[in-house]
Amino acid sequence: MEYARMKFYCDEHRCIECDGCSVACAEAHELPVGIARRKVITINEGIPGKEFSTSIACMHCTDAPCEQVCPVDCFYIREDGIVLHDKEKCIGCGYCLYACPFGAPQFPREGIFGAKGAMDKCTMCAGGPLETNSEKERHLYGQNRIAEGKVPVCAAMCSTKALLVGDSESVSAIIRTRVSSRAKGASNPLVWDKAYKNQ
Amino acid sequence: MKKYLYMFIATLALASAAFAVDSQIWGEMRIQNILGYGQEESLKLGPLFTMLQHHYFAWIFLGILIGVPGAFFLHYKIIGPKVFPHSEKKYYAFNLYNRIIHQIAAISFIVIVPTGFVIVFGDFFGGGMFVRFCKNLHGLFTVPFTIVVIPMALMWLKEALFNLDDVKWFMILGGYLSKEKKPILAGKFNAGQKMWYWVAILGGITMILSGAFMFFLDFKMEMLHNLTGMSQIDMLRAAAIIHNVMGFAVVALFITHVYMSMFAIKGAVQSIITGYVEEEEVKILHSTWYKKLKNQGKF
Ligand code: HEM
Repeated sequence: MEYARMKFYCDEHRCIECDGCSVACAEAHELPVGIARRKVITINEGIPGKEFSTSIACMHCTDAPCEQVCPVDCFYIREDGIVLHDKEKCIGCGYCLYACPFGAPQFPREGIFGAKGAMDKCTMCAGGPLETNSEKERHLYGQNRIAEGKVPVCAAMCSTKALLVGDSESVSAIIRTRVSSRAKGASNPLVWDKAYKNQ
Repeated sequence: MKKYLYMFIATLALASAAFAVDSQIWGEMRIQNILGYGQEESLKLGPLFTMLQHHYFAWIFLGILIGVPGAFFLHYKIIGPKVFPHSEKKYYAFNLYNRIIHQIAAISFIVIVPTGFVIVFGDFFGGGMFVRFCKNLHGLFTVPFTIVVIPMALMWLKEALFNLDDVKWFMILGGYLSKEKKPILAGKFNAGQKMWYWVAILGGITMILSGAFMFFLDFKMEMLHNLTGMSQIDMLRAAAIIHNVMGFAVVALFITHVYMSMFAIKGAVQSIITGYVEEEEVKILHSTWYKKLKNQGKF
């Protein structure tokens, strides 16, 4: 059976830079201070017409470069496309960060020398390789909402529904509908045409 | 007293809060880092590092790890070691200072090189505790090496400058391809030793710097950004590439150095332990130096 691939998509026409997603993520997974699995960034800040905000985290790439460079092979890609890693295998070398286009992997410092500890990144709320919903899994990777049939917390909390998550085809379908209905209807008086089309 | 304690705690708290904002990777700079990835005018170091690390680095290290000792094993079997008789006459070539500096560098390398290999072949060792421990040792033993690398560079600089003898030495590969014992032109250090000096010193400093980049990861050096025009993440990528490529040279010559001193020339290692070199050995392998010492009446 061919599984659908799970993807995030952030609709920059809707993102209002409220930071709700990253706060929701940090709270739900009880992340330590200094670690932000998700972050809202604003591109072309101050340039009229070009400025937009978007929310980024691990993008769960189909060809995940982090998985390609890991010297201890601690990454695995689930059949639904979610890219996860084994923190007990990870040595905190930093290679995945160098390979990542999005700067997603982060390294809490640990021990007396302050060496890089095991990497932390977005799990798409799917936990890790440990027993599902075990205390240890929750401690190391945060909630496993996927196993409970719930939507990842960031997308669930997004107030404007800019941040979408799901199998790539459904996400594309939603975006297509949004794009094709944009600049039409009462919400956009500039291109307003007929009040009552049927007459 | 309590006041100072509170101030101290407040500073710590502020420092950790500032961490996220000032971060060169996950803070404001993240946008620049993302936009830089794979763009036309960028260096494309991200895809380059991914390709090299995914397909080549570990294999090249494996090739060196098998190939270099393999070649020396054949050399040992076919041509064999050079054995010099122990003579009464010895010359005190390395003083205590030289030996201590060298021994600190030696111990550092004996730890750094194997642990480097453990990281490179981390999947073979299953990752986790053991490989993490090796990674920490790898970083830790960089400290003593960093302390001695400059003193070592200075104490042997004069002897390590290349001259005409070295051209001739390279043409016959130091006479190591024959069993004959005829005098070879070389000063206190022969061309091979000089090569190791430069790789260990310049290569070693490169390894320290690129390793330090990867260790500290998130730091700000305005000067470096302006000089290279690179973002922090691109500098880290460059550091990782350089650390591996320079690692090839350091490892290959380190193995050579160990083979020469421990196996190819019987007893040669004693000179850096006791400080004394044997007359016979100097006469054959460092004939230019021997003449000089003889003229000075040292033998
Ligand atoms: C003079 C020689 C060397 C010095 C001073 C040196 C130093 C360092 C330092 C300080 C780090 C960062 C450690 C950390 O992030 O905790 C590092 C990382 C690394 N080194 Fe070296 N190194 C040397 C030689 C080598 C060699 C010969 C190899 C390979 C055989 C190697 C492989 C690595 C690898 C794979 C990393 C990245 C993983 C990591 O950061 O832990 N190094 N090195």
